[in-house]
Amino acid sequence: MEGMPILSLITFLPVLGMVIILLLPSRNEAGIKYTALGITLLQVILAVMMLSGFNYNLPGVTDESTFQFVEKFRWIEIQEVSWLGTVKVDYFLGVDGISMPMVLLTAIVSLIAVISSWKIPKAIKGFFALFLLLDTGMMGVFVALDLFLFYIFWELMLLPMYFLIGIWGGPRKEYAAIKFFIYTLLGSVFILLVMIGLYFSATETLADGSKVFTFNIIELANQANYNSDGILSPFNPQNWRYIAYIALFVGFAIKIPMFPFHTWLPDAHVEAPTPISVILAGVLLKMGTYGILRIAFPVFPEVTRELMWYIALFGMINIIYGAFVALSQKDFKKLIAYSSVSHMGYVLLGMASLTSTGINGAILQMFNHGTITAMLFLIVGVIYDRAHTRGIDDFGGLATKLPVYTGFVTVAFFAAIGLPGLSGFVSEALVFVGAFSVESIRVVTVISTLGILLGAAYMLWTLQRIFFGKFNEKWEGLTDIDSREMAMFIPLTIIIIFLGVYPSAMIDIMNTSVSALAEFMNSAGNNLLGGM
Amino acid sequence: MIPNLSEIFSLTAPEIVIAVTLILVVLVDLIWDKNKVPAMFTAALGLIVAGVVILNGMPETGMIPNNYMVVSDKLGLYFKFIIVLTTLFILLFTYDSKEIIESHLRQGEYYALVYGMVLGMFFLTSAVDLILIYIALELLSLSSYVLAGFSDKETRNSEAAVKYLIYGAISSAFMLFGISLIYGLTGTTNLYGVNEVLSTTVVNIYTLGFAVILIIAGIGYKISAVPFHFWTPDVYEGSPITITAYLSVASKAAGFALLIRFVSITFIDHVKADGEWILNGAFDWQTILIVLALLTMTVGNLSALWQKNIKRLLAYSSVAHAGYILLGVAVLTNLGLVSVMIYFAVYMMMNLGAFYVVMLVANKTGSEHISQFDGIGYTMPYAGVALTIFLVSLTGLPPTAGFIGKLYLFLALLDSNMLMVAFIALLNTVISLYYYVRILKHMYLKNVAEMPEKIETRGYSTVVLSLLVVPVLFFGIYWTPLIDFAKYCVEFVIK
Amino acid sequence: MLHVGLHHFLVVSSILFSLGLYAIVTRKNAILVLMGVELVLNAANINFVAFARYGDFGASGQLNALFVIVLAAAEAAIALAIVINLYKHFSHVNIDEADNLKE
Repeated sequence: MEGMPILSLITFLPVLGMVIILLLPSRNEAGIKYTALGITLLQVILAVMMLSGFNYNLPGVTDESTFQFVEKFRWIEIQEVSWLGTVKVDYFLGVDGISMPMVLLTAIVSLIAVISSWKIPKAIKGFFALFLLLDTGMMGVFVALDLFLFYIFWELMLLPMYFLIGIWGGPRKEYAAIKFFIYTLLGSVFILLVMIGLYFSATETLADGSKVFTFNIIELANQANYNSDGILSPFNPQNWRYIAYIALFVGFAIKIPMFPFHTWLPDAHVEAPTPISVILAGVLLKMGTYGILRIAFPVFPEVTRELMWYIALFGMINIIYGAFVALSQKDFKKLIAYSSVSHMGYVLLGMASLTSTGINGAILQMFNHGTITAMLFLIVGVIYDRAHTRGIDDFGGLATKLPVYTGFVTVAFFAAIGLPGLSGFVSEALVFVGAFSVESIRVVTVISTLGILLGAAYMLWTLQRIFFGKFNEKWEGLTDIDSREMAMFIPLTIIIIFLGVYPSAMIDIMNTSVSALAEFMNSAGNNLLGGM
Repeated sequence: MIPNLSEIFSLTAPEIVIAVTLILVVLVDLIWDKNKVPAMFTAALGLIVAGVVILNGMPETGMIPNNYMVVSDKLGLYFKFIIVLTTLFILLFTYDSKEIIESHLRQGEYYALVYGMVLGMFFLTSAVDLILIYIALELLSLSSYVLAGFSDKETRNSEAAVKYLIYGAISSAFMLFGISLIYGLTGTTNLYGVNEVLSTTVVNIYTLGFAVILIIAGIGYKISAVPFHFWTPDVYEGSPITITAYLSVASKAAGFALLIRFVSITFIDHVKADGEWILNGAFDWQTILIVLALLTMTVGNLSALWQKNIKRLLAYSSVAHAGYILLGVAVLTNLGLVSVMIYFAVYMMMNLGAFYVVMLVANKTGSEHISQFDGIGYTMPYAGVALTIFLVSLTGLPPTAGFIGKLYLFLALLDSNMLMVAFIALLNTVISLYYYVRILKHMYLKNVAEMPEKIETRGYSTVVLSLLVVPVLFFGIYWTPLIDFAKYCVEFVIK
Repeated sequence: MLHVGLHHFLVVSSILFSLGLYAIVTRKNAILVLMGVELVLNAANINFVAFARYGDFGASGQLNALFVIVLAAAEAAIALAIVINLYKHFSHVNIDEADNLKE
């Protein structure tokens, strides 16, 4: 285990898989599918290996020496020229308590998504090749610690998603795909601009004492590294830090998706094929909040403190607005999509609190939402595969025909509502406790609790309309779930129940890092406000 | 002072190679009447020799002999190298091009004319005398007018040639008038001489302004800057596709080299240690260049959104790229210059690649309408993937080389604190995504009735495509050699 | 006796330039446009020669004028060849009406 470049392996293994798939003939469908399955399974194994070797006491976050499984070497280095300085970009990977849950989540959800893709109707080879490329992008985002590398992985997932939605999707797939692409690219462009601005504002001191411009996220968080005339330097009285922060935040917020930048999500989710919806909701949405936690917060702590009320406000809007719109939906998948928007609002609220409890709750909610919403979309997929409709009112009384299926559905729905005993309760509770403890956002928090009520409302109502009540004779011929679908549901159910009764399993992983982050956010940059 | 003959040879070695090969090509074509292959081989061979000569000439630092009309410095050699590479690729494309093969008896003239263009471009990149600039520009333009109208079969070729001719003749006439006015103001047409006069005496600002605007009209026409770009869509659409590809890369490169030399030599006072160029204040170049650049980008991108003919779309897209490159010049720093050079290297690969795939598709389907691309992703898989990579690179997404080009451009912009300009450029990138993705949409997303048969493509096409695709991906991931080479060449000599 | 100075030449060349500009802008026939171009080129030539003569710049101006004359001739040859080609395809040489390319 020592010395094995486990992060590079887990990130680039899918690329290897993609190459293998591209070389296999298109007719060999089984080979292609099993290759993808094998690769994602390997990823899960590697993630578990990492977890077993993970040291729970190292904080990471802003301290480079306490990151784990670090791989760092010089990737691009352009030698010193008097008017350019040395340009360097590092290949820098590492995890800490904040990224470890995300790595686990990506591995698990990818495996489930591959199982769910077994019945893809056409162009199997292209589908799985693109899927694995997407997998690399996602994993890379969570482990990259150099802003440039982070950006490359971030952009890497745009094109595969465009094709995956646009080729295998539903009736309005082209519109949904291009909307997704352009919206997300706009956000990425903001991130790029801020990234370059940061590059020119901070220097890193190398081993030989020379100072170079850097993309290293950890160095960028260290305020002592900024030179006094950099465009985004806190020492520069004319600095653009507020605008840059807002731009960076918006760039990430588009992915969360935060109101009012969320309009791409319903279209993308509804039109995407089931496995892609699973990946989208399960992993991609987390990249936005992860980006904020990893980059926006540590690099701009003082600005965050100023704006935290607004972040909480937007969290509240997400929660309430998402829930209200979900309540009015007739399409099952669109309802789940809006419930996704609502649940990500809890993450924002927890993050905005800048407390250890709140951020713990936020990250736990990210993990839980990943598993729960993945399961919800799988549920929609199962019924759509059989009935070819998603209209909620078209169904009725399915519990009598599909008892096993209804069992899983109930678990997932109650987890989404936040029933104690299932994982959703813990994360939402932590978010509320953390947010409530902060004086300035108390009112917003109280209003947000309405979201729980609304969530219960639309979920239970949907449960009632589809599964209980009078059996709709039209669906006499439906079959219950088969073993493949059980293989998708069972792992997720186990995780949901396990984390519901023993949440420490996950919280212990992140606690040290989250505490360090919370402490950093509340203290750093203090002495710089109020002029130099 | 009688110039030293060996000195002249060393200064103009690449041009001499090209001139000799030009004569050889014409001779070979006369001798081997029916078979056109020897002519092509001679052409290719000449280019390779020229390339080797260029690379050999690199390590020497540029000497400026006084009052000579050309300099041999690394900036010029870099651009010449790019032109040589482009021309080699064009020759490879020509072998595959239906339009040129069909007019097979006149093929020898095709190679001779291409060489004429190359000769003109070579002189254009290293000329420091306004008259030589004019002569080289005319040589380049005249050969391209004829090449634009080369294929005799369709009416659109002759229409393209006429439009190109009219615009070109007008622009170069205006440019000449501007040159004559500068001659009158300063007494010399040598750029270094003009620089001296401008820094020592005060000249009439209105006349100087008028003259410079006329010269900008001439240069702007060559690089397709707005508002001198009106010929671009028609000529690009009407010409044979190899010529379109050639014009879009090589003559733009020559035009930009010219612009850089003109601005830097005539108007620069000195260069600061951090690479910033200090102008001698006679003319506010930065504002003008920025305005031109922003206009060019925006008009190019917005117009491309409406296009249905793919050559026209790529024409407007190349106008937009000229806008990005102009920004690199507009920052007036060494870093900006490096970004221009890198962008050209990258642009060459991706633009040529895109045109090549379009040519392959047009060969098979006979039309360049965007609807012809429906389902191409499945019928010509390798070409489809290649075009996807090229389009992604043109948009500027990682991990392709196009991203690196744009990255350095933004590095240069932000280094000079031009935030708003960078922001507008980035918005333009997002706009350009829409029309590049539209091609992808037709290739892959349009439902074709049944799974179509794969169209056979020659192994030759696959090899040529790979030659272009691999560097685009490689330089997207490991781009150090590119930057090093560009940095090494940014040493043009300023007095 | 009228003493001919530099400005006289410049006035003539400006007039030629304006006439050429007018021809370029208003004429539809390709050959007439090319005539306008020739006028502008010759205006530039007059400039060169006049500046060389009155500014004591040596013979460089006149040399430049010779170059330009040769280039203008080459350009005219090629231009007329292309115009003939146009006529073959369209039976007219109005550049406004040769409009097949757009849409």
